Amino acid sequence: MGSRLVSLPALAAALLGVVSVLAACGSDGSQQPLNLSGGVPVGAVLALTSNANAYGQDQQIGLDLAQRWFNGPGLGGQAGGIGGKPVRLRIEDGGGDEQGASQAFNLLIDAGVVALIGPTLSQQAFAADPIAQRRGVPVVAPSNTAVGIPQIGSFISRVSASSAVIAPLSIAKALELNPGISRAAVFYAQDDAYSTSETTIFQKALTTKGLKPVTVQRTQLNDQDFQNQITAALRLHPDLIVISAQAVDGGNLIRQLRELGYKGAIVVGNGMNTPNIYPICQASCDGILIAQAYSPELATPINQTFLKLYKQAKGGAIPPQLTAQAFTAFQVVAEALERLNRRQPLGALKLAEARTALMAELLGGRYDTPLGEISFTPDGEVVQKNFYVAQVRMQPDGRSGRFALLNGSPP
Amino acid sequence: MSGLSLLVQMGLAALLALSVSLPLRCGQLSLATPGFYAIGGYVAALLSTRWQALGGAAATYPLPSLLLEMGVAALVAGAVALLVGRPVLQLRGIYLAIATIALVEMLRVLNLNLEWSGGAVGIFAIPQPFAGPGGYLAFTVLLLAAWCWICARLDRMRLGRAMAAIREDELAARCMGIATTEVKLTAFVLSAVIAALAGVVAAHFLNTWNARQGSFDASITTLAFVVFGGSRTWLGPVVGGLVLTALPELLRPVGDLRLIVFGLVILIGPALFPQGLITPERLDWLGRAWKSQGR
Repeated sequence: MGSRLVSLPALAAALLGVVSVLAACGSDGSQQPLNLSGGVPVGAVLALTSNANAYGQDQQIGLDLAQRWFNGPGLGGQAGGIGGKPVRLRIEDGGGDEQGASQAFNLLIDAGVVALIGPTLSQQAFAADPIAQRRGVPVVAPSNTAVGIPQIGSFISRVSASSAVIAPLSIAKALELNPGISRAAVFYAQDDAYSTSETTIFQKALTTKGLKPVTVQRTQLNDQDFQNQITAALRLHPDLIVISAQAVDGGNLIRQLRELGYKGAIVVGNGMNTPNIYPICQASCDGILIAQAYSPELATPINQTFLKLYKQAKGGAIPPQLTAQAFTAFQVVAEALERLNRRQPLGALKLAEARTALMAELLGGRYDTPLGEISFTPDGEVVQKNFYVAQVRMQPDGRSGRFALLNGSPP
Repeated sequence: MSGLSLLVQMGLAALLALSVSLPLRCGQLSLATPGFYAIGGYVAALLSTRWQALGGAAATYPLPSLLLEMGVAALVAGAVALLVGRPVLQLRGIYLAIATIALVEMLRVLNLNLEWSGGAVGIFAIPQPFAGPGGYLAFTVLLLAAWCWICARLDRMRLGRAMAAIREDELAARCMGIATTEVKLTAFVLSAVIAALAGVVAAHFLNTWNARQGSFDASITTLAFVVFGGSRTWLGPVVGGLVLTALPELLRPVGDLRLIVFGLVILIGPALFPQGLITPERLDWLGRAWKSQGR
């Protein structure tokens, strides 16, 4: 074999030399003044690839619409950007894993963004948010619902209400619609942070209602065939099935449940809260119950503007919750920037100062958003007043459908 | 700093590629690397978050504690490899690959369902031994350099030559008096230790650790590093790991097409260079060219 021997000290010294040169180049510029040429830089990290892209697509539309709304003159009473400067949003793909989200966070922070929106999945947030926290960059999460996200640090906040708040509502609604329910079965994706986090809340809510689950079935995110779990569950004759899964696997699970003859009620969690499930479970989607943090029927001017923009962009469709939350995340950042700019002009601030001041401003404000009026607790958890429960109604052809809000305010 | 943290990820990938390549040196296709990587990560995550005494008083996590974690992780992974290796290494070729995939899956499902591993959410808020990616990079580079040196040494050592002999013809090697089982087992244990050490650094670097880190997908990715880089020298897997980890990030300007381009590179690489990018012949040729240039 011809490979030569390299001496360890020489190798290590050479590599360390390269490293120190790189480290010298990599100073992070947070003591420089905030660079406003081309607009106020804000970053977003969304899952545009991987299995989670079903969510990322919804979010991307929300951010695009919000940017157009906020920077455009006259729309919704905005005078176009912040003190005449537009908000310049840069969206990076964080994929569906921890490494991708961390890398995208670092990339955008290096690019000098004043705040970050994202990442899409809670699991990614546990990896990427500490980086933003250490580097002092405000994060507004548009879709992380797992318990403990804002507690990662003082710079982390979210506009997506925790599943601990939302999940029990749909169970209560199912029981209200059908008081005869007596046997509940639970399904969840055991290899997913969001699903396992949400299922504990679902199970607690069921037990509180006197419906201890007759069976708990575990699935996996990449599963396609759920026949084993379904037959095991159906043998126990459940009349309510509660599912915590993501869009693709959850859609397939519902479809197979109906195909194998299950006729009872189905309650699903936030992971299936996207119209992108329609092509997967098609006609079988009909009738499933989902708690909502967003109502298209909310009659406020900002929601009407958002609805109008979305309908223009998507040919009359109704916006899903993820899109509304992404829009809200952008709005929160933009309005906080605007208030900050009025008190201290952004151009005079160093980047690090601007980030810290923005975080304080962001948490202190109240926002009139498509989700209704929201504010934040001191540790960054969203305070939202209105939640809803929707039922999926599919068209007879099974191709398209809608989330129909159920009347009567949930308890 | 995004550049620095990418370099850390590249270094960790190179370590994992070295780990896959060691059993391959004696002709054993083992895909168990992500399993041991996960073990290393869990050891680090559990020790640093549950054992308060390790944390010390300083703001950053003390370096000796990190080294202790690495020691424990190496021991645990080595022990598991010893235990599992003896029966599993009786298998050959594709059967060994399947058995090692099963090992990775068993560890993953175990980690998902055990109480102390945090389930699918995993363990988060792992303390930081370094203030920024620069420290991680220096540490990873030292680790990588040490293992590169060991792998380069192997070519001149009895163990390395025995491994090569087994790869060429196991029966002939045994006839020449090489204790083939022991040599294969040694390679497997070394491979496990490298992966576990990479796991320790990765757990701190990622801030969080969960069962998704050691999955079947990761097995295939690490194998791709070796196939792309070439398995016949120590440099091949290292280059494979570095390049294939860097590529998706470097392709970001391409936009939505980046993963398609990345896939094409993985496809075209082995098609044009079936032995991998780096082969001993190519290295020799490069070395000669370098020398004649010098004169």
